[in-house]
Formats: sequence, C-alpha cells, structure tokens
Amino acid sequence: MVNLEKLQARVKELLDKGAVDHVIGYRRGSATFMAAPAFITRPEDAGDLVWDPTCVHNLSLYLTAEKKIKAAKKETAAKPIGVICKGCDSRSVVVLLQENYIKRESVHIIGVSCEGGGVLDENKLNKFLKGKTPLGAKYDGDDAYLVATKDGEQKIPAKEIMADRCLECKYPYPVLNDDVFGEKAESKRLDPYHSLEAMEAATTGDKWSFWKKHLDKCLRCYACRSVCPMCYCDECVVDSIAFMVTPSTSPDQKANRIKWIERSNQTSENFGYHLVRAIHLAGRCIDCAECERVCPVNIPVRLLNKKLEKEAFLLFDYEAGVDQKQPSLVSSFRDEDPNDHIL
Amino acid sequence: MTEKTESKTAKQDFEPRIVAFLCKWCSSAGSDLAGVTRTQYPANLVPITVMCSGSVSPVYILSAFNKGADGVLVSGCHPGDCHYIKGNYFARRKIYLTQKLIEFIGVDKERFRMSWVSAAEGAKYAEVVTNFTNDIRPLGPQKKLKGDR
Repeated sequence: MVNLEKLQARVKELLDKGAVDHVIGYRRGSATFMAAPAFITRPEDAGDLVWDPTCVHNLSLYLTAEKKIKAAKKETAAKPIGVICKGCDSRSVVVLLQENYIKRESVHIIGVSCEGGGVLDENKLNKFLKGKTPLGAKYDGDDAYLVATKDGEQKIPAKEIMADRCLECKYPYPVLNDDVFGEKAESKRLDPYHSLEAMEAATTGDKWSFWKKHLDKCLRCYACRSVCPMCYCDECVVDSIAFMVTPSTSPDQKANRIKWIERSNQTSENFGYHLVRAIHLAGRCIDCAECERVCPVNIPVRLLNKKLEKEAFLLFDYEAGVDQKQPSLVSSFRDEDPNDHIL
Repeated sequence: MTEKTESKTAKQDFEPRIVAFLCKWCSSAGSDLAGVTRTQYPANLVPITVMCSGSVSPVYILSAFNKGADGVLVSGCHPGDCHYIKGNYFARRKIYLTQKLIEFIGVDKERFRMSWVSAAEGAKYAEVVTNFTNDIRPLGPQKKLKGDR
C-alpha cells in the first residue's frame, strides 16, 4: 500500500529544503468525491495531498502549461517542479523528456504505484450505483473497490468500475522516478488491445457508421486537445492563430489563407480534426485516456490513439514512454519495416 | 425526370479524381518518362510534385480527401534510392500508419495507395495509374471525408 503519510512527509521535506518550486499532486475535490489537482507551494499544505483510485488526472499536463507560462513571462525556471505521477503519467513525462520539451533537471518525479488498482471511471461508477452518490473509494487489494455511499461501504468488483485503460494497462509502475511510493505490481486484467477487437472485426460500413455517429456529436470544444500533455504545440493545425491580420490584409488574403481544417463542426471537418490529432499522437500517446474522460459528448477518442499504439507496437516494436533515449516513432525506421502495403 | 436520368448517367460515367504526390527525384521523373515514351494511361490523376515522399504529411492526404479526391497516391523512390538517403523510409512508416487509421474509421482502404516508382519506370507508373483508376471506378465517388462546400 502507498503510505500517504510518508508521501506527504516527503513533499513537505522537499518544499522545506527548497529542492522544488512547488509540487503538483491531488487533493480532495470540492464538487464531487473525485480528487482534484493541487498545487502545493507551502510546506504546511502538504497534508492536503491525497492518494486513492479517484486520482485520475494526468498531472504532467501542468509541466507543459508551466513551461508556456514561464515562456510568456520570459522567465526561466529556477527550481524543478515536483509532480506526482502514476505509472501512466510517468510515461508521458518520459515522452516530454524524449522530445526535449522539458529538461530532466526541471522536474522532480514523485512516482506513485497504483499497485494494480488503477483508477475509477466516474461514468461507470455512477451507472453502477444507479443514482446513489459515492462519497469515497479505495482499492482493497483484492481486485475490488470499496465505495462508500450514505448507505455504508459497498464492495464492487474492479472490472465493473475501473477505467478501461487501467484494465488494459501494461505498466502500472512509474518507469522514471526520483522518489517512489508503493509496491511494484503487475496488472494484466485484459489484453492490452482488448477494446479494439470489436472495432477491428467490424465491416467497413459498420466502422464508418460507428465513427460518424460519434464524431458528428463533436462540438469542437477542443477539450481533448487542452487536456492532452502531448498537445503542447504553440500553434495547432486546426486554428491558424499565427496568421497576421493587419489593416493592410485584404479580404482575399483572409479568405485564402491556409486552413487545413475548417472550424465548423461538419462531418468532414470533425473527421479531419480527430484523424490529424490521432496521427500527431502516434508513438507519443501513452494512453492516459484523459481525452476521453473530458469529452463532454462521450466520443471514444481513446480508440483512435489506441489503434495507432497497437500498430506501432506490433509492426515497429515501438512503445511510447518507456525509453527516454529512443528516437521517436516517425523519425526513425528499420530496414525490416513492412513493405507490403507499397506497390 | 431529367434530373434522375442525369444522375444515372453521371454514375455510369463516373471518372475518379485522384491526387498523386510524386517525389521530384524518382516518381515525377517516372511520370515524365511515361509521357515522353507515349505510354497510354488514364488522365484521372492530378500529379503534385513534392521534394520527397517523406515530406508528404498525413495532413496532405486527409486534406486531399477533404477537398473531394476519390483516391490519393503517394509515390517515391525505391528503398535505398532516396535522394535524401532516408526520406522514403520515413514515408513508409507514416503512410502505413495513415493507411491503418483510414481503414479503422471505415473509409475504403483501396482509396489510398503508395508505390515505389523510379525515374526509369515509366511503364510501371502507367500501370500503377491504370490499376488504381480501375480499382477506384467501381467504388464510386468518395463522399465520406469530402467537405461540404
């Protein structure tokens, strides 16, 4: 079990020594029983930190946000930032390091093993409880969660309410860390690519109607992009913010500027956006499934990323976020790469 | 009535529009050779010369489909022949992933191809274009990813 007191004590010690600028972790949320991200700047606040299966967020997102804020203020980071990372989150930090977006010395990774307990899927839990409000949840180590409601504690099998990505998780233990809490555990409940099986077996027509049904709902709110630690580009292909509009810009120039994907949420444009996003995350997505969690209209965004993750692993033997030194998927090749798809 | 007959004939006479991204050093020269040697091949293909097949971003391909292309062809130098040493190896990976993704969302995978055509293979270029056009014709117009404008 992760000893929360030891975790809090370590965070307090790091802040007391001034070894880190601040620590990004989880605390109790005010809206629901789910944990919320916390920015701990004062040693005395370290006691606010929590650790349980409701800590779903991928906090490495804030490392990229921090860098952008610093860049906008033209400041350089004096001290590293402490960040609490689950196994999956630590892999996204590795990808950021691999891409040289952040420096190793600018981050202090406090790894926390979820010990095979994964995190909860709030939607699944609410469906399971049929209207009862959950008040708290913990993993009992025996493939089940203990969920507290006003009627007392209820034991629910992990398979029912665990997030899909945790059921398929390959590496529940932080791959890179400066401190680590919790035991190394295996987590092999389902085949890593289990969620893809049904889709891959479907016919072309069924695949299309599935995706059309889902992507037609897309509001283009870009929540999936905002929450993704890998979507850190200053300018995104879907919004050309770097296009300068000056008094001398003619209407022609405005109309004819390069727009790869229109803003309107038509079928074609929504497909364009989601496909481009999937391609850009190929070999980078570490399957934290935050995009799917934040989607207000429940589009299974994760499946697209998972598909490319599978192809990269099976054909190119490439796994995102396990090795900081490896070249990225699309900037490397092997002689034995498949050649059969080419005439 | 006239509308109906018109649409029927339009379907029968459907001529696919194919966008081809040809690398400057091999495939573009190959297409040139096909023309110079007076090889007959369908005129359905719109060639776009790029510096290297490795420079073809998946966004180009999706964009071509979005603008109404019925098929997209990417053609580059044979492995080991790239003018930039390894551009076509990168292309091979990228194109493979794009093909899988396009297939996964339910667009006919026949609509998107890649080929290796060297500067000396005018006949192969004509063959690739002919086969591609003939394979796309029965599929009809590509409407799934086409933008509504």
